[in-house]
Amino acid sequence: MTATAHTPTRPISQAGSLRANLRLFWLGGLISYRALFNWARPSIYIPTLIGAPTFQILFFAALGSYATGMDAEFFAIGNAVQVSAMSGIYGMTMAIANERWFGTLHALLATPASRWAIFGGRFIPFIANGLLVSVYGFTISWLFLGVELRVETLGVVALGLVATVFSCSAIGAVQGGLSMRLRDGLFGANLLVFLFLLFCGVNIPLDVLPGWMQAVSNVLPFTHGLQAVRAAVGGAGLDQVGGLIAIEFGIGAAYALLAFGLFSYLERSARANATLDVR
Amino acid sequence: MEGLARNTRLVWRVWIFTLRSFLASEFFILTAILQPVIFASIAFFLFQAGGDAAGEQTLLYAALGTGMMGVWSTTLFGCGGAIQWHRWEGTLELLVAAPSRYDMVLLGQTLGASTFGFYSILATIVWGMALFGMPLNADFPLLLPVALAVAILSLGCLGMLLATSFVLYRHANALSNLLEYPIWIVTGMVVPLAVLPGWLGPISWFLSPTWAMEAIRGSAIGSEPPILAMVLCLGLAAVYYLMARRVLRFVLDKARRDATLSLA
Repeated sequence: MTATAHTPTRPISQAGSLRANLRLFWLGGLISYRALFNWARPSIYIPTLIGAPTFQILFFAALGSYATGMDAEFFAIGNAVQVSAMSGIYGMTMAIANERWFGTLHALLATPASRWAIFGGRFIPFIANGLLVSVYGFTISWLFLGVELRVETLGVVALGLVATVFSCSAIGAVQGGLSMRLRDGLFGANLLVFLFLLFCGVNIPLDVLPGWMQAVSNVLPFTHGLQAVRAAVGGAGLDQVGGLIAIEFGIGAAYALLAFGLFSYLERSARANATLDVR
Repeated sequence: MEGLARNTRLVWRVWIFTLRSFLASEFFILTAILQPVIFASIAFFLFQAGGDAAGEQTLLYAALGTGMMGVWSTTLFGCGGAIQWHRWEGTLELLVAAPSRYDMVLLGQTLGASTFGFYSILATIVWGMALFGMPLNADFPLLLPVALAVAILSLGCLGMLLATSFVLYRHANALSNLLEYPIWIVTGMVVPLAVLPGWLGPISWFLSPTWAMEAIRGSAIGSEPPILAMVLCLGLAAVYYLMARRVLRFVLDKARRDATLSLA
């Protein structure tokens, strides 16, 4: 059976209406995930977002406990949270920069659709994906490294994780915006992921780092969220780590605004200079 | 004899060409220089925080280990994509159809990748000396260049085996992502195998990076010359090369028969 000319169709929401924007936010985000995230297929997803994080956690737990004599739990938690960067950084970079590489950017920017809805919707799938990878990381840490989560603070751990994954995705969006101008956007994405391992207290206790590195770590994602998650795993409640989680959300919001500003600026600049598709 | 000279020249040319093309690649600069330096910094801070867990020459131990991690990453990514990139660029059919032996082309590519990886060791040593006050001395300085050459050869041959194996898999880069950390663990690059589960030991014996690491570290901070490690490295290199040739012949024959050589 095929549809005829008389088949009723759903009315298309008027561009700019709240409903259209929400639809764009939700469906646009999902479609962009499926279309632009190169790793969203089992043959790449499993080795990259399941296999690699497993061994990253085991590697740093082994190295950290051997080199420092500390319990493997510190390193396991740090890396279980940091592996969400695989989705947050690489994913968001691809979700924005691949529009240009796949030749769809000019069509996207020719629409009158709200840039907030287009841009904001891309966060949701990658935040969900980052959370999934981190939850998997915690499962590995529990199975092999003895990390125990307390039921009473599980909600606080989850909140800390959401804040961290959000701020990570936000800096990923900044990288995505920059990648619209760079020849190789994944260079910066790779560099960011490695720098998180060094600066943000993922593997090195913050008090061991030199002062300038601690200062840098304060404006990066992960640092505060990870402190909150570690404390919550140790039994701290929301009253004790709520401030850290709020700071992490704040850092994420700042990066998200910066990313949107960058995206808007690059759009205007590309239109003015006719460089939208120039690589 | 003329064939040997021709093949040697071919391997040499491709080797140099690969090195030069990697020098122009941001990705390989990241993999061979920036990433090892970051991992070296992590290891330096951790070992400093923990005192002298690895003995008197902790920093040199960490620098060599993290440098070797970079060598492995470069070999893995450089060799994993060696055939795939030619497919993407449309040059694979030309190379396979050329009268020159394709296994020699591939060997030159993989040796180039493993050689480029040795920038990692240089980078981590310079980084350790400049920023962490790492002392530089070698217990067997004359053996060190030999150990490096043997390591390049063995990793190049392992890379050739990887390249030929990965070609059956459409997403070689995903496999490369997967295999980075496990080999760092199982070959004892920064964490000695003695402190890891015993069942990892037998696996590590069949992986040339284990012996390459042993040979380099033994030449620098070992108590006796690492001759056995070098011999095992060379032996494994020969085995890898022979295996890679067989796999390559099988893969190319199959691809020609099925007309899938250029299908990525």
